[in-house]
Amino acid sequence: MDKLNINQHISQQYNSALDDLKTEFLALGGIVEQQIIKAVKSITDVDVDLAAEVMAVEKEVDKREIVLDDLCTQIIARRQPTASDLRLVMAISKATRDLERMGDEANKIAKMAIAISESETLPHGFSELRNLGRQVQDEVNITLTAFARYDVDMALQVVDKDEEIDREYATAMRELITYMMEDPRNISRAMSIIWSLRSLERIGDHAGNISEQVIYLVKGLDIRHKTADEVAEQVSQD
Amino acid sequence: MTNQTIKTIDRVNLTLKTRHRAEKRFRLYGMVSIAFGLLCLLFLFSNIIGKGMRGFTYHYLILSVELDASVLGITDPNDLDQILAANYSGLIKKAAYRYFQVNERKAKKKVRKLLAIDGTGYLLQNKLKQGNVSELLGTKVTILALVDDKVDYYLKRLGEPDEPGKQAFDDQQLRWIDTAKEAGDLKHKINWAFFSTGDSSHSEEAGIRGAVMGSFYLLLVTFLLSFPIGIAAAIYLEEYAPTNRWTDLIEVNINNLAAVPSIIFGLLGLAIFLSFFGFPRSTPLVGGFVLTLMTLPTIIISSRAAIKAVPPSIRQAAYGIGASKMQVTLHHVLPLAMPGMLTGTIIGLAQALGESAPLLMIGMAAFIPEVPNGVSDPATALPMQIFQWFRNADAGFNEKASAAILVLLMFLISMNILAVWARRRLERRW
Amino acid sequence: MTEIKGDIVVDQKTTMTTNNKVVLDGDNDKTVGEPFVENAKMSMRHVNVFYGEKQAIFDVNLDIASNQVVAMIGPSGCGKSTFLRCLNRMNDTISICRVDGKLFLEEQDINDKKMDVVPLRARVGMVFQKPNPFPKSIYDNVAYGPRIHGLADRRSDLDEIVETSLQKAGLWDEVKDRLHQPGIGLSGGQQQRLCIARTIAVSPEVILMDEPCSALDPIATAKIEELIDELSQNYTIAIVTHSMQQAARVSHRTAYFHLGKLIEVNETEKVFTNPDHSLTEAYITGRFG
Repeated sequence: MDKLNINQHISQQYNSALDDLKTEFLALGGIVEQQIIKAVKSITDVDVDLAAEVMAVEKEVDKREIVLDDLCTQIIARRQPTASDLRLVMAISKATRDLERMGDEANKIAKMAIAISESETLPHGFSELRNLGRQVQDEVNITLTAFARYDVDMALQVVDKDEEIDREYATAMRELITYMMEDPRNISRAMSIIWSLRSLERIGDHAGNISEQVIYLVKGLDIRHKTADEVAEQVSQD
Repeated sequence: MTNQTIKTIDRVNLTLKTRHRAEKRFRLYGMVSIAFGLLCLLFLFSNIIGKGMRGFTYHYLILSVELDASVLGITDPNDLDQILAANYSGLIKKAAYRYFQVNERKAKKKVRKLLAIDGTGYLLQNKLKQGNVSELLGTKVTILALVDDKVDYYLKRLGEPDEPGKQAFDDQQLRWIDTAKEAGDLKHKINWAFFSTGDSSHSEEAGIRGAVMGSFYLLLVTFLLSFPIGIAAAIYLEEYAPTNRWTDLIEVNINNLAAVPSIIFGLLGLAIFLSFFGFPRSTPLVGGFVLTLMTLPTIIISSRAAIKAVPPSIRQAAYGIGASKMQVTLHHVLPLAMPGMLTGTIIGLAQALGESAPLLMIGMAAFIPEVPNGVSDPATALPMQIFQWFRNADAGFNEKASAAILVLLMFLISMNILAVWARRRLERRW
Repeated sequence: MTEIKGDIVVDQKTTMTTNNKVVLDGDNDKTVGEPFVENAKMSMRHVNVFYGEKQAIFDVNLDIASNQVVAMIGPSGCGKSTFLRCLNRMNDTISICRVDGKLFLEEQDINDKKMDVVPLRARVGMVFQKPNPFPKSIYDNVAYGPRIHGLADRRSDLDEIVETSLQKAGLWDEVKDRLHQPGIGLSGGQQQRLCIARTIAVSPEVILMDEPCSALDPIATAKIEELIDELSQNYTIAIVTHSMQQAARVSHRTAYFHLGKLIEVNETEKVFTNPDHSLTEAYITGRFG
């Protein structure tokens, strides 16, 4: 369905305002994506500098979130967008919040990386972390691409993938709990890993939310709080 | 390029002077035209009013007359025929000889030339008819005797350089006039009889009432016929008639009729109303018919314009509420168009009032001394009367003609005022 | 659910499918969305309108639900006003205009040549683009309809009709002290509400509004819109508007016309968030029009 670019608005300014909004959003998405990659890398490579770098970007993300919110408000106030334009603004408004949260979670992972680097022994769970980290990175990447291309199929992939990540996360948790039960002295270190895993899992959830917004944006369907099967059925119906 | 360095505003400034000059010239053209029009109007009015005002007044000689039954030849004061046939001229002549104190025949003849004996006789006759004859007989009454129209002419121009009209009199007559004038026995006053009598072959007796009444009846007939017919036709054409070749044809013809020379309508009236239907000649009824034919196109055209000017939104509003076509027309279109229709009608009637050509054809140019009492009495109309009086060689009639023009103008002006008033009164803003 | 309307079998569930009989010729001309409803006050079937040789409306099928507001939107010259004027035969006043098709007001075909337009217009009232009060007093403006239709026998009845109509139009408090002053002395918004009062004074079942706010300022517009909302509880309303925002604000259902064709009819929320037809989408997002 290519009705989102049927042709241009009569108002060039309106066109460019919407374009700016989307570009700005994708730019923020890129920053957050980099942040996540670096955060995961900083913890798995025990790289304190990289962690510091991740934390430094946090301010930039906050600033851009405010700019995006402002753009959304401006468009609503000045243009009273309807239909696809309305959905675009609403979707970006919501997705921005998710991106910002993702940035926060990346920040937390970076903090954990610093915490872990201060301990002497490398804890268990790095492989799980690396594994989950890669999957989440993939998910975020697909989400943003889906958004950029208004691609419903890719967005649906993300929704599927999210469940996989949840399973992976549960497995990693069980493993780490076992590890902690074996030797209670490991608990503090293991907790850092758990927090990081938890953050990654949250990032995955947010990516899922953004994918839902992509589907809303393109199809006009609200698929929040629905199972993957229901979603697939609804989307294919339309 | 030097041209490009010149700013737009400088270029504009360069042309400004010529533009302003052209502007001024343009305004001047308009002002000159209006001034020309005003000047013509001013000349016309001053000329007509100057001449016409003289026609409203006349000179009278205060004369004391003894109502001597033997001279009058009245034996029975109750016999109307005797009163009508009585010898008033003799009485007046006698009084005049006494006033100027003349005895010999030659002088008596000269005295008779100074007075309008017949006209004064009617005054005396009226006095007797209105009063108690048996009481009046034998008494002395003072009357305002009409002077001869030559005397009136001379007296009215006394101050003028070469004393026009003087050559009509010899020295003795002039002396008599001067003496009477110095004694204050010559009175210059408004000639009320002018408004109350019909036409006459004597200028001093001629009045305008016959023509005024004739015109009045003419207009009455014209109005009563053309207003309803014209408005009904306009409403039908505007509101009901479908637009097709027939209505187009009708429309073109109505527009053309408005431009047809009025004498053609006179011919038409002559052919149809007089020859075919056999209506009486010279009557306001037939004149009204003819003028109706002439006025109708004007009324229809202006009424249609008035109906067209009613905003369609009003019509739509009425239709939208469920009014029928007739209700829309009667409740909304007609009241809103009425001022325009009335204006058109009054303008048409004013045209009819000034019209003479068609009336010529149906015999309304005849000499009719009686004042008409209805639409079927023979009558003449104001413009016809003016024409006839001007044609007359008598100087007195020329004056009367100017006065009659003033009366006609007054009528036209008051009709126009009526039109304005009606418009103001009926017009509602929407 | 199947019902018989004229000679057409309307199958509500299969409206969108090709085997439905109420479709336009050629796949591109199909009206998308839900043009038909169950509780229709007015039903239009196969409506074609011609101005002389030129066709202005192409086979429009639409239901107007009872006590609902239907907004008709579309670019200029799309035929939405022409279609609206079919609903109370106002097109009769244009001699070259010809309306084909069936237009039902409840069970009656109002496009029947035998149908008397006077009672029809008493049942289907109309409010116009420009406020057009009669050059009469406020009272006479409202009383005109009841008078010509003989709705009030006594003066007191007429007074009551005038008062309730003005109250319903939200104008009573503003004009109750000057009922006998000319209606033209009111402000534009008041005049338009007076016109609405005049329309509802004859207790119509349907009110047609042809861009009722296009000559009004935003505050007056807001008042009229509020009024439309209140009126929709008792009347069925069809409104033509140039303002998409207005359609979005006041209507329950929105019909999008394009070049004389009815492109899409849907619930207003649906039309303004996720229209079915790409033309509707392009129009309401301001990509043409």
